[in-house]
Amino acid sequence: MAELSLQHLEKVYDNNVQAVYDFNLDVKDGELIVLVGPSGCGKSTTLRMVAGLEDITRGKMLLGGKDVTDAPAKDRDIAMVFQNYALYGHMTIYENMAFSLTLRKEDPNVIHKKVLAAAQVLGLTEQLNKKPNQLSGGQRQRVAMGRSIVRNPQLFLFDEPLSNLDAKLRSATRREILLLHKRLGATMLYVTHDQTEALTLADRIVCMSMGHVQQIGTPLELYDTPANLFVASFIGLPPMNFIDAKVEGSRLVTSKFALELTGEEKRLLTAYQGRQIVLGFRPENTRVGSDFEMQVLSNENLGMNTLVHGHIGADGKGEKITCKLAGWCSYRAGDVVGISITRKHFFDKETTNAIRTEGSGK
Amino acid sequence: MTQEERAIQADRMRFTKDKLSSNLVLIAIVFDALYFVSLYQTDIGSYYYNWKIGASVVYNLLFMLAAFLASEGVKSRKTGYTGLLIFLGVMQVVRIFYLPTQAAKDVVTVSGVEYPAMERGQYIYVVVCLIISAVCCIAAAVNSSINNRRLAQHMATLENKTA
Repeated sequence: MAELSLQHLEKVYDNNVQAVYDFNLDVKDGELIVLVGPSGCGKSTTLRMVAGLEDITRGKMLLGGKDVTDAPAKDRDIAMVFQNYALYGHMTIYENMAFSLTLRKEDPNVIHKKVLAAAQVLGLTEQLNKKPNQLSGGQRQRVAMGRSIVRNPQLFLFDEPLSNLDAKLRSATRREILLLHKRLGATMLYVTHDQTEALTLADRIVCMSMGHVQQIGTPLELYDTPANLFVASFIGLPPMNFIDAKVEGSRLVTSKFALELTGEEKRLLTAYQGRQIVLGFRPENTRVGSDFEMQVLSNENLGMNTLVHGHIGADGKGEKITCKLAGWCSYRAGDVVGISITRKHFFDKETTNAIRTEGSGK
Repeated sequence: MTQEERAIQADRMRFTKDKLSSNLVLIAIVFDALYFVSLYQTDIGSYYYNWKIGASVVYNLLFMLAAFLASEGVKSRKTGYTGLLIFLGVMQVVRIFYLPTQAAKDVVTVSGVEYPAMERGQYIYVVVCLIISAVCCIAAAVNSSINNRRLAQHMATLENKTA
């Protein structure tokens, strides 16, 4: 396994469309990095540049300290697992897993040992004589991973590997990937648009939008201290609620309610006195209380919690928000509930960046 | 080859196909085809226009069908096809003494001129084709049989280990 360094990577297609802007990332040996973002944000393009499937327009890529920016895909010692598995239907699982080594003309006995070892790690020993169409989607994806493992590459790339699986299988395969990562200690780059996958798998997450890196950090950093409105809205399910507000003295005034700021919040917002900002709060950072009133639109009971959707204000004319309240709630449409916010986030309305004290992270 | 390498080689057979045996049978089919193409293109009077040629055509079709099935069978290391391959191999040898040898001995008179029903060169060619075809069938059967026996022994060893 090896370290990966991506320095000022950019991708401009022939039609002058720029897909990736100034991408910088240093991946440590054995680290699992997840690239996350909505469709078209450039995450797959970045992965394909790393794999050598797309030319790097500008920038530099170092793998294990060696410059591989212009190296062809076959010389990079990188294995990639695709969303559609890319297995050969006419070959058995054993042959699929052994294929890349057979092409390299490795000793058949060595290939045999490697395939059996990988099959054992992935729980595929009983399936080796079967054809891919005899396996479930999860098993096929494991075969695709096995094909990568036998090569013992310096870097594993995963391009939305769980997208074709149903929810239950996705969750199980996700756990398997995590166990596999721990067992192999492999350096992995994983692309997904599913934030749950990103939060559960990653050592660090790279959140992207429109070809730009929005934030790089641990899952907790992205969840707890999002760098800007985009990250705040993208990470977390249900997404964060946003309300326009104005800082007036020691109060934060919105169109429907006003909040008294704590001492720390006042210090944080000193520079924003009299200016418009965006107040953000996660649905799970709310409880029944008295900060403001919400007119209920609908309830979603999840067992331990209830997602309550509604509009701010007793008249139901304020912003639409979602609150995740503890316990089983049975509100009806039109009911008015008092809500308190337990954790607030503030964003600059113009730059959309999070308002933080200096040195509190990106 | 060390004991361990031999064991791995035997273990590999659990997951790999017996391509050598399968390919040998396919070669047998090719040489059978070369044989009958050479035989059927011969046109001397009405010597070859008889029921024996009809029977030969039917047998060739059956041979190709059976050999192809056997090729697929031995590829998957199925044990039942070795007997069939030996039978087909023996039959290819028997066929040498049926049409080609008879034709090589016979003389055909066309417009008062005598011709050999089969030239010496063609006779040697078709005999060689049939012999290669027979050898390939029998070699495939032997190779398949040896491999299957090794695999069976290896499987028994594995079962003993797990038990």
